[in-house]
Amino acid sequence: MIDKESNIFDKLKNYYDNYGLRARELKEEGKKVIGYVCSFVPLEIITASGCIPFRVRGDLREPITTGDTLLETIVCPYYRSCFDLSVKGRYDFLSGMVIPHACDSMVRSYSAWSYSLPYPYSHFVNIPSVCGESSFEFFDEELNTFRRSLERFVGKAIRDEDLLRAIEAHNENRDKVRALYELRKNDPPLISGTELTMTLTVGSSLPIDESQGLLDQVLSEVRERASSPLKRGPRILIDGACLDNIELIRLVEELGGNVVADTICNGARDCFPRTEMDGNPIRALSRRYLDRVNCPKTYRANKSSTFEGDIANRFGDIGAYAKEFKVDGAILYVYKYCDPFGFEVPGRKAYYQSIHVPMLHLEDIYSAGTIGQLRTRIQAFLEMIG
Amino acid sequence: MAEERKETKPKKRMTATRAAASIGPMVKEFITGTLQARAEGRQKLAYTFIVCHHEEIFRAMDVLPIWTENFAGICGAKRDAERFLQRAESLGLSRSLCTYALCGIGFDQWREELGEMPPDAPWGGQARPDFMISSGQILCDPRSKWYQASQQFMPDVPIYNIDLPYPLFEKDQDHREVRGYYHRYIVQQLRGLVAFLEEQTRKKMDYDRLEELVDLSDRTWNLIDETYRLRSAIPCPMGTGDAMNTMVPICFMMATQKAYDFFVDLKKELEEKIAKGEGEVEKEKYRLMWGGGLPAWYALNDFNYFNSKGASFPAETTYRMIASLHEMDLPETKDPIEHLAWRWLGYWTFWYDRARKRPGSEPDVERLINWIEEYKIDGIVMHEAFSCRTWHVGLIWQLHQLAKIYKPIPVYVIGKDGMKEKVYRELPSLILESDIIDITSYSEMDTRNKIDAFIETLESNRLNKAA
Repeated sequence: MIDKESNIFDKLKNYYDNYGLRARELKEEGKKVIGYVCSFVPLEIITASGCIPFRVRGDLREPITTGDTLLETIVCPYYRSCFDLSVKGRYDFLSGMVIPHACDSMVRSYSAWSYSLPYPYSHFVNIPSVCGESSFEFFDEELNTFRRSLERFVGKAIRDEDLLRAIEAHNENRDKVRALYELRKNDPPLISGTELTMTLTVGSSLPIDESQGLLDQVLSEVRERASSPLKRGPRILIDGACLDNIELIRLVEELGGNVVADTICNGARDCFPRTEMDGNPIRALSRRYLDRVNCPKTYRANKSSTFEGDIANRFGDIGAYAKEFKVDGAILYVYKYCDPFGFEVPGRKAYYQSIHVPMLHLEDIYSAGTIGQLRTRIQAFLEMIG
Repeated sequence: MAEERKETKPKKRMTATRAAASIGPMVKEFITGTLQARAEGRQKLAYTFIVCHHEEIFRAMDVLPIWTENFAGICGAKRDAERFLQRAESLGLSRSLCTYALCGIGFDQWREELGEMPPDAPWGGQARPDFMISSGQILCDPRSKWYQASQQFMPDVPIYNIDLPYPLFEKDQDHREVRGYYHRYIVQQLRGLVAFLEEQTRKKMDYDRLEELVDLSDRTWNLIDETYRLRSAIPCPMGTGDAMNTMVPICFMMATQKAYDFFVDLKKELEEKIAKGEGEVEKEKYRLMWGGGLPAWYALNDFNYFNSKGASFPAETTYRMIASLHEMDLPETKDPIEHLAWRWLGYWTFWYDRARKRPGSEPDVERLINWIEEYKIDGIVMHEAFSCRTWHVGLIWQLHQLAKIYKPIPVYVIGKDGMKEKVYRELPSLILESDIIDITSYSEMDTRNKIDAFIETLESNRLNKAA
């Protein structure tokens, strides 16, 4: 799926296969690299502190070993893999780790992370579960606590202007990702889902300016393409949590589908919402992360008194993407033991029915060992909708 | 059809105390009371969750709580959860999710589909609520997702989701630096709950009544702590098996005179047993702590099995009040809502200061160490329920950390020079694996084999313990 002749995609593949390569170099240059998981960590604060945010990812092909001696196997398998790689030293270039309140797996394992890893810095950001005015006031304070904690770690103040600059840089990055998504609208798309997810995965391991540079190069190269790397096929939306690897998407595309949209964490969920500036950078960040990152973890009240109204409100972004990217079918990909997404499966199923988009629900365990089973089910689904 | 079949009735667990034996009828009466209230329409009924420190608000507003975790637990204890779990699975919900929630959602869907209780519903079934109060706590995802999922079948039943965070322990940060804004937020959330209930019941909150109920709860809280501390006596007069019964007034009946009176009676009963030297087991050989995890409600008999080996359980970390309120650093306030918020924060952060003082410690680990010493514990038993991340993630790490920093058992070993030398060993531990209510995850044979092996370790320690 990757264009073998292309320099930028060769570079991308190298960074993808050797995830953390650039971060390790930066560490050797004396920079502080701060690891994080999930879409709820306000990266702008890390960037504003002069540190480099680095998204910790798992590895489908690495058996979980050391991690299982410290964490229960009932933890989300993706998160277990991230923890396992971390305790095995894969991310030993990190100076710290930030974990948000996004799910029980993260909350309950925070001590295991902060005591088991040799990083000098760790911090937990408490994200409210609801979205009322008092939640924003609380979250403003919590973000300021995070800011002060990082200030103590780096030994310098994070000024408002540093934050504003970081917000601008991350917004520009998101704009470029949005531009990349625009190239999916062609039929077949000018960029494959595999390429796009690889780009975003690698981007989340780089300083924000380098991520922007990478996106510029990818955009420029893809825009010059005369044709798509894919043959025309059913246009698929991937719905789910964090998909930090290309395996599932590559599988869909190998089987003839075109992955053209998603709601995943290192995809649209994370990259589409911009931070709207209103003068106070912390307030702007709290609005973005709490209100605009549409994760099942955040409870959104049913204001309609009907089930149909409720699911239209909670999952409306899916319908909007389905329309915008002319989606033919969706794959709801949920990790086993994921309570926030797992409890939404019946609601999401009903929503897909309401917008007349066929949907395949897959529960998986973040392992290369299940690819064969997934292949059979995805193939049948694509044949059904193709 | 599989879901229509009920499973075999379990053998009744023997209790050590009269108080624990009286719990079954009390719960039945409570469930029947909600059904009667539903039929008569005299009170508003609310689905809700335990350990939210909001009972006083409910009772002051004359709202009858339906503890949905309780009903799922009853289904589990009666070995009648499977048909509801299967219903939930048929909706697309994975069996790996919280089985309390799956049982509740499966039950709700069935009741709503029929327009009446499912056939042979345990103790008459779970009444339809007027509203649902969910809780976006920091510790439990299903608490903010369960009712949202149930609302698919009851769209006319509104939800109020109350956010109750607490500051997570950070080794290098005093939680007092942040608790001011945590407190402000929790107060706002609780006031939001009052406003919601006022709207639903069309009644105004009686703050004098609320103050009385908060006072009653506080007194009950302290009484429970005094009562449970009596269990440090040797032999231990009441074990965790019984505490899994006496959790009922703690979790479902706070802010009632009945709960207070229950513990007056239990305290008296324990004092009498201690005076007579009566223990949970006749010849107490090992004192164990239930160090984490919710029990397998369908297999409470396993506590009797431990007892049969001479093992007693003087303490458990599950369903405990942590400490008396006098020991907590709670700022003074005359406002009952503000007090509830302080109490909530005090409850969660109680061990933080002590944990910070001991190198390598952490609040959950610190609690284990303190109670190991206070209750003279010989070994720790934990239960890993596969479907619940809330209480069961982190237990392995706690044992790992405990073993790293705390080695209280002196034994003699032969040293390098062939001479006997005294060394210290960590406390032995046992992790049982199954689920809270999904009996398909449980094997009595495997569980008891594990218990037997654990008892052998305890016995070896007992024999080899250095004087």
